[in-house]
Amino acid sequence: MADLRINLAGIESPNPFWLASAPPTNSGYQVQRAFEAGWGGAVWKTLGDPILNVSSRFAAVNFNGQRVAGFNNIELITDRPLEVNLKEIYETKKRFPDHAIIASLMVEPNQAAWHEIVKRVEDVGVDGLELNFGCPHGMAERGMGSASGQVPELVEKQTYWVKEVAKTPVIVKLTPNITDITVTAESAVQGGADAVSMINTINSLAGVDLDTWNTIPHVAGKGAHGGYCGPAVKPIALNMVGECARNANINVPISGIGGISNWKDAVEYMLMGATGVQVCTAAMHHGFRIVEDMIEGLDTYLDEKGLASAMDLVGKSVPRYSDWGDLDLNYNIVARINNDICINCNKCHIACEDTAHQCIDMLKDGNGKDILQVREEDCVGCNLCSIVCPVDGAIEMVEVPNELPSMTWNERQAVLSSTLTSQAMKK
Amino acid sequence: MSEYQDFLHERDRIDFLLQKGYKITNVTENLSGAFVDFEKSGESNGEAPRETLHILNADARKYFSAMLMKQQKEEV
Repeated sequence: MADLRINLAGIESPNPFWLASAPPTNSGYQVQRAFEAGWGGAVWKTLGDPILNVSSRFAAVNFNGQRVAGFNNIELITDRPLEVNLKEIYETKKRFPDHAIIASLMVEPNQAAWHEIVKRVEDVGVDGLELNFGCPHGMAERGMGSASGQVPELVEKQTYWVKEVAKTPVIVKLTPNITDITVTAESAVQGGADAVSMINTINSLAGVDLDTWNTIPHVAGKGAHGGYCGPAVKPIALNMVGECARNANINVPISGIGGISNWKDAVEYMLMGATGVQVCTAAMHHGFRIVEDMIEGLDTYLDEKGLASAMDLVGKSVPRYSDWGDLDLNYNIVARINNDICINCNKCHIACEDTAHQCIDMLKDGNGKDILQVREEDCVGCNLCSIVCPVDGAIEMVEVPNELPSMTWNERQAVLSSTLTSQAMKK
Repeated sequence: MSEYQDFLHERDRIDFLLQKGYKITNVTENLSGAFVDFEKSGESNGEAPRETLHILNADARKYFSAMLMKQQKEEV
């Protein structure tokens, strides 16, 4: 069995699977049940001045029979007094000393307010702090959450204030509701953050009811934007993790968050630079016991890969993530259809003919049977046919040799530029 | 004509000049594609012959770029 333990900026955890700061970590009862199920850590639902919530808080986006492809919420941070939460954190930590408890914090952008909450939370024995600079709804209207997380100077300043008094590692949780998350990640590092976590939820409106014309969800006929998470946001979050991981100025560990539903998702995040992951929507959809499959799956995967530790995964794919201008323009793949497997639904032909490069022909073989065939010389390797194909293995994308040497866009432009320069010098 | 046939046609025109000893001396790219200037140096009398090809096909634009890279490496 591989070693599943992780160490994220000094926070040790028996496995990389943490519950994110959200409804599943609202109370000691829940977090203790989660630890019993096997979760390695929990980021306690954000502590701050206790808020008032509305009724009707969540909404989900279902897609083609997949329930909860995306999840939207307008719930705010904890509605319980700090003392109640601290007592339960203390009790939970006492009962589960080897599990990581991180306190998510959100207060107004004020040095004294940050100092006070940090000291009080650390007194009960948390393993680390996570600064919530990402919550996009409700609290942002009060100048907290993503409102301060979208201002690099405020991210740096508040991180600095926390670090002035913090004795435990400080994770800064970033909002994706910004053009370039590496800017605020760098600000967090400048402020002294020991780690960053991403992403918090994305501004969203789950839908509109076609009968009543109310928003989904609505509160007495009125709606407000919420935060979107769940499987639908994973590609967005994974890119943000990757962009931060390959940025030399963001030289702190990353806690990955966004649509992680199983061990495979977690491995992808770790390969892309996350030291551990945080999960919310999948636990809300299926319950705490999903972590059992996550642990078993990760363990098996590590054994199959011959890796001794989960930490060996961290960042392994980062060097393979680059800029478009560094991709080889002369690398070619083409589609090949296996007509023994193909069911002749023609989806590939339709997709290619209508929306791609018109290179899949509908033909008949020697026996008069309908077949589909790719004109490889016209195929640009866009992958669309294999994406829409409903049958695994019917369409394979294969690499084809190119007589031309590797050439990136950046290399090409450099050569063209030097040609112009040399011509100018000759003249 | 397929895109591939377009490519073959434009590649042949590029190869024709290169095989006759022309070298790429300038490339102008704009909304209409690429205008590639060729010049044949080393002629004993008169001005060096020049040709310009208007290259439209994307793969052909990759092709002359690769030929230009090769040409620059050979000149070094």
